[in-house]
Amino acid sequence: MATMAPPLGEHDEILRRPNIASADVQLPAVKDYEQVDREISATLHPTVAWFIGLGTAIFFLLLGISAWCYQIYSGLGVAGYNPPVMWGVYIITFVFWVGIGHAGTLISAILYLFRAGFRTTIYRCAEAMTVFAVMTAGLFPILHLGRPWKFFWLIPYPNWRYIWPQFKSPLIWDVFAILTYLTVSSTFLFVGLIPDIAVLRDRETNPVRKRILSVLSLGWRNSDREWRHFARAYLFLAAFSTPLVLSVHSVVSFDFAMSLVPGWHTTVFAPYFVAGAIYSGIGMVLTIIIPLRRFFGLKHYVTLNHLDAAAKLALFTSMVVSCAYMEEWFVAWFSGSEFEKAFFANRIWGQWWWASAILYTCNMVLPLTLFSQKLRRNTVWLFIISITINIGMWFERFVIVVPSLSHEFEPWQWTSYRPTWVDYAILAGSFGWFSMWFLLFIKQLPVIAISEVKEILPPKLRRRHDHGIDSTGHHLDFEPSTPGEYD
Amino acid sequence: MPGVVGAFHELDAAVQAIEELKKKRLGEVTVYTPTPRHEIEHAIGAGPSPVRLYTLFGGLAGATCGYWIAIWTSDYWPLVVGGKPIASWVPYTIFGFEVMVLFGALSTVVGLFINSRIPRLTMTVGYDPRFSGSDYGIWVDCSPSNCPVVESVLRDSGAVEVRNER
Repeated sequence: MATMAPPLGEHDEILRRPNIASADVQLPAVKDYEQVDREISATLHPTVAWFIGLGTAIFFLLLGISAWCYQIYSGLGVAGYNPPVMWGVYIITFVFWVGIGHAGTLISAILYLFRAGFRTTIYRCAEAMTVFAVMTAGLFPILHLGRPWKFFWLIPYPNWRYIWPQFKSPLIWDVFAILTYLTVSSTFLFVGLIPDIAVLRDRETNPVRKRILSVLSLGWRNSDREWRHFARAYLFLAAFSTPLVLSVHSVVSFDFAMSLVPGWHTTVFAPYFVAGAIYSGIGMVLTIIIPLRRFFGLKHYVTLNHLDAAAKLALFTSMVVSCAYMEEWFVAWFSGSEFEKAFFANRIWGQWWWASAILYTCNMVLPLTLFSQKLRRNTVWLFIISITINIGMWFERFVIVVPSLSHEFEPWQWTSYRPTWVDYAILAGSFGWFSMWFLLFIKQLPVIAISEVKEILPPKLRRRHDHGIDSTGHHLDFEPSTPGEYD
Repeated sequence: MPGVVGAFHELDAAVQAIEELKKKRLGEVTVYTPTPRHEIEHAIGAGPSPVRLYTLFGGLAGATCGYWIAIWTSDYWPLVVGGKPIASWVPYTIFGFEVMVLFGALSTVVGLFINSRIPRLTMTVGYDPRFSGSDYGIWVDCSPSNCPVVESVLRDSGAVEVRNER
């Protein structure tokens, strides 16, 4: 049973000054390494609630699989496509899940390079979320194919009469970007897990499980040699992942921006997509981590300071995407292009006003409440906001994809789009697929990085003396050369 | 190789032992620590990790390969459009970049594995499961004649347990 944090009264000092630079790296209720091992290992025991969650996830997954089988049997016509709107829920959901996958690497890599202390207790969860979100996203281009069994034609090899795929096509850029991102983020997750798997291996009593963990930990021994190379490798992986995060959603945005369709043909799409992806990813991290810290009794690891910092990041990125929305309106007006003007009028005041209203409310208006520190530290409100972020970001992609295709250059082409039950079932199935993997992960491997949490705890010393962490998250050495240190 | 292992509850005791052992040059010292600590790193005084070279060469190889595959396939079956060059370096930079990241990241992991000597099929002598929990361990590869001196250094520094292993 996890030890809960002492009553808030004991941490009044921390709560009173949550904005000081070092507050987010301190875990006042975590006393020593044994407590970390004990409490985080305790989260691996399955509970009834976990089985119910897993069952629900598998139910939705089966629903999605059934709908897909029906679609394969009947053809893509059952999916609600209405020419020329030939990109619908599948492409919207593909972009949505790729976006979700961005926060993990942002938190684990970019915040690592910036020494942002609040990442320590949430990054493992975010990294796992990234891998499973990209796995989910990768399904959608295949679901979108009329003949999904030909999906491997996208893989770069000479598939027909020695003809290679067209390397000037954004769809091939996408394949490279997504596969690279999936490989690198999975590698990053696994490398970070190695020392923690070694902890589990050494605590495990079941011989079969111990053997499996021994293989997965690769014989890690926590030696100084291993840590030295590990730290360097982790740094370089973070350094590679950082531009990769920015590139992947930029490349996804090129799927749209390289075309001439009104609303898509714009140079702002790359930064706009990246900011939106990070925003949606932070939203999903909050959606996952808030219930997790409650059900696993980890409130003293993922503290209000951590949530506060993540909420500030969500607020910042929401303001970036808000700027991008306003820039789109401005350019539509300033460009003088009648097509752009007509398209934006239709998007905002025409047939898609309701989708735009949901988008702007969820992404521009509601996040402004996070300016209030009181609301940032209210987990119920934060959870509600995180859900609205997810909804808003799905609708952002809807508003990008559907209104553009339904209102192109020729008025006779103008049409509408209505998803069918097959679209909805596959959308629900994607959430089931994602949740299933995530739920399996959190009961097999530690959802909080054990070795990194230990890093921010003061070590056990023979003599009590000041040891702490400075405002950048670095350890303050105990100065072994101090006279009398060992006396 | 025979040697002596000492287990420490406290970080400062382990650091003191490392400094003493390094000063007396009694054998190669390996430190086991539940989490990386600057204090131990400073006491050991190891040089920079060569993993960075794997990263560098992996990244360069990746960038070369990414550009090469796009340019070679374009030349292999040329499609001339509007008299423009066959190899279009601007979009091919996407492949150069992505494959650079892919190769660079994977070669970094290879560098980590080679330099850390993992995967390892069996636990080497001197390791104890408590070293991944909360204790620090110091393993000294030493000749049988030096073992008693090493033992006494470890005990004097505050080791809670000292034992010979081979």
